Amino acid sequence: MPTTAPAIHTHVACTHCGDECPDEPIIFAEQPFCCQGCQAVYELLNANNLCTYYRLDERPGQKVKAVELPGRFDYLDQESVQAQLLAFRSDTLAKLTLTIPQMHCTSCIWLLENLHKLNPGVSESRVNFLRKELTVSYLPSQTSLKEVVKLLAAVGYEPQITLAELGAQPHHGNRALYYKLGLAGFCFGNVMLLAFPDYLSFTEQLQVEFGRFFGYLSLVLALPVLLVSARGFYESAWQGLRQRYINLDFPISLGLTALFLTSLFDILTHRGPGYLDSFTGLVFFMLIGKWVQQRTYDALHFDRDFTSYFPVAVTLLTKGGEKSVSVKDLQVGNRILVRNQEVIPADAMLMRGTGQIDYSFVSGESVPVAKLTGEVVYAGGRQVGEAVELEVVREVSQGYLTQLWNNPAFQKAEKQTLETYADKVGRYFVAVTLVLALGSILYWYPKDPHMAMRAFTSVLVIACPCALSLATPFAMGAALRVFGRLKFYLKNSAVVETLGRADTIVFDKTGTLTDTHRSEVRYVGLPLQLEETQLIAALVQQSTHPLSQRLAKELGSNKLSVANYFEVPGQGLRGVVAGREVKVGSAAFVGAETQPREGPKASADTRQSRVYMAVDGKALGCFAFYNVYREHMQEVLQTLGKRYHLAILSGDNNTEQERLRELFGSKAELRFWQSPQDKLDYVAALRQQGRTVIMVGDGLNDAGALRQADAGIALTDTLSNFSPACDAILDASSFGQFATFLRFSQDCLQVVLATFILSFGYNGIGLGLAVQGKFTPIVSAILMPISSLSVMLFATLLVRLAAYRNKL
Amino acid sequence: MNIIFILIGISLLVAVTFLGVFLWAVRSGQYEDDYTPSVRVLFEDEE
Repeated sequence: MPTTAPAIHTHVACTHCGDECPDEPIIFAEQPFCCQGCQAVYELLNANNLCTYYRLDERPGQKVKAVELPGRFDYLDQESVQAQLLAFRSDTLAKLTLTIPQMHCTSCIWLLENLHKLNPGVSESRVNFLRKELTVSYLPSQTSLKEVVKLLAAVGYEPQITLAELGAQPHHGNRALYYKLGLAGFCFGNVMLLAFPDYLSFTEQLQVEFGRFFGYLSLVLALPVLLVSARGFYESAWQGLRQRYINLDFPISLGLTALFLTSLFDILTHRGPGYLDSFTGLVFFMLIGKWVQQRTYDALHFDRDFTSYFPVAVTLLTKGGEKSVSVKDLQVGNRILVRNQEVIPADAMLMRGTGQIDYSFVSGESVPVAKLTGEVVYAGGRQVGEAVELEVVREVSQGYLTQLWNNPAFQKAEKQTLETYADKVGRYFVAVTLVLALGSILYWYPKDPHMAMRAFTSVLVIACPCALSLATPFAMGAALRVFGRLKFYLKNSAVVETLGRADTIVFDKTGTLTDTHRSEVRYVGLPLQLEETQLIAALVQQSTHPLSQRLAKELGSNKLSVANYFEVPGQGLRGVVAGREVKVGSAAFVGAETQPREGPKASADTRQSRVYMAVDGKALGCFAFYNVYREHMQEVLQTLGKRYHLAILSGDNNTEQERLRELFGSKAELRFWQSPQDKLDYVAALRQQGRTVIMVGDGLNDAGALRQADAGIALTDTLSNFSPACDAILDASSFGQFATFLRFSQDCLQVVLATFILSFGYNGIGLGLAVQGKFTPIVSAILMPISSLSVMLFATLLVRLAAYRNKL
Repeated sequence: MNIIFILIGISLLVAVTFLGVFLWAVRSGQYEDDYTPSVRVLFEDEE
């Protein structure tokens, strides 16, 4: 039987990509390679003396897709596309920034920055590794944008050029934050220096002589902090107010204002030195919190725009011939040409050719669906095989996926999840502060009107919840870094909170729980001879069809040559191997009888995909491809089942119900035959019941449900080129730790709460002093920085501790 | 003690210079990417 495990070979790693080579690797320059693609890259680099690439880091190479289409990058020659992509252009120099998700190591940086050695027309290329961007300058006289992109694709770093990218400005990071931070730091340092004489008793003499000068000077220094550095807090508080919503920035703004006005009053009336050192210090510390937050976000580049999946340009068929147009300009009735491996940009009717549409992008289903002339194909599918002619029936913006996307449910979902702990606490904070402030006025006013004013402002000042605002970014930032290290990428820190609070987890089946790349292959039929196995293996090696490739991997490789090779898209392959005619494909194609399916209902809906084969016209049998569940799934589900309400939504039939019931336990909800809309509705219904829902899925198909859920997690094998609309991306290899991730999120929530308590402790001490009117500038100058700094430290350390305890 | 005025003036001037240098550094994009240069500096010139 060929399907039994092949004898264990000592596999050699491919020189380029490091993957296991087939039994007889391609040898070039005494180095083993797994495929032509890898060899081609090595050849190119070797010829240009760039083999340092392989020495800098281990296994730097990316497997290069074998499919190379002649006109794939032609749209880059288009004037309108260039105008949108190029950041700068003159006759002598052109410059642009490209996103290259594949870059991952030192070798990548080195090669990408040495592009000029491969194409002399490139004058400079600089990598921004954290953003995964490459900024290229080239000489338009010597090369073109298309050539540059082609070169990048040839060495395995094809840039991601998408609709969303067009029109996007090359961002300058957030420089404004650095300016604000630098300014606040400068002012804080100097104001503190000027305030120093107040702190110590032996400098009293100095204070008497220069107090007024120091006061005015620190006022001058504090002004830019108020006007520039602290502006963000005021803006955010104002925005919140306009939406009738009090966020954490509101009490912060209130406190800062009180602090500044009190100081202004004290200094101008020569009552004292004011609190300007506390004021500038607070702004500085809070900006550091913002900076930490921003850095964490920068490392996670999330794209929520579905248009980023779609091609930039399509080939339009007009009477005058082929023309490349922007997808945005497509209209109903347009005839378009979609070549092998191209994504269908809009719902369209197949006019000519045989469609073999790979919807793995949309449904997670890896087997292409055959479409005949006259049938409608949906946007998001990828044509595999010959070029087809389509007529657009719906504009891009009205496509089926777009409808799903624009479902009003998504927008609602976002607002609700945005409500974080900090904001919630912030609201109560304001109420308590105002009550206390008014209370202290009422208490003091009859006795000492001056003291009443002082107590009132002190309460507002000390109640400034700056430590509170620092707790979340620091705790969550540390958590996001821990997750990122383990290949679990979260959109922002609010997601950690949601994960920690969730009580229900909904799984999608296809592609999420099942691993389409490792589907099990079983043979049914007449026993195969070794010779026949080799004949079939040789034939399927020729094809790029996923099932052929899967089968080729299963059967192993050999060097039999194939003559008269012919592939009928959607049906099968045939060829003459070693003088014998071999056919592989559908039952009808090879002339075999359909093998009876196992199970009662497993007929039309394919749980298993089958490939039949015949040698010399004699049907032998078929290979059936079964779904295989992900590794560690059982452990993960068992752990989760104890703590969460589980559910599974499958677009497939219910043949695997029993198996799933066993895995998920008796309480779990199992639903089959679910359309994307059903999934979305189900998640929405759960949320209506007041549950906090995590949806784990993949692809665009469950994107609706992913967005509808409080936290949508996309489980994916290929991190680099897949970023669906979701709140988090989980690398499939880390799925085994999913349960631990959730527990860690809960721990992080606890940490945030603990830091809140700590910060309340400081506020409590301060308030105690404030209502008594004993809150002096010196107390403020000591208490404020200590509370801010200790909260930052406390939050970071506790999260580290939690990670350590969870063995993450 | 009038020297204090001058000293404070000088110290402020120095501080403003540093602030200026910082702002220039941000402007010239040095804070955009603080990882790649650390790798780049280790590459050997092979010319």
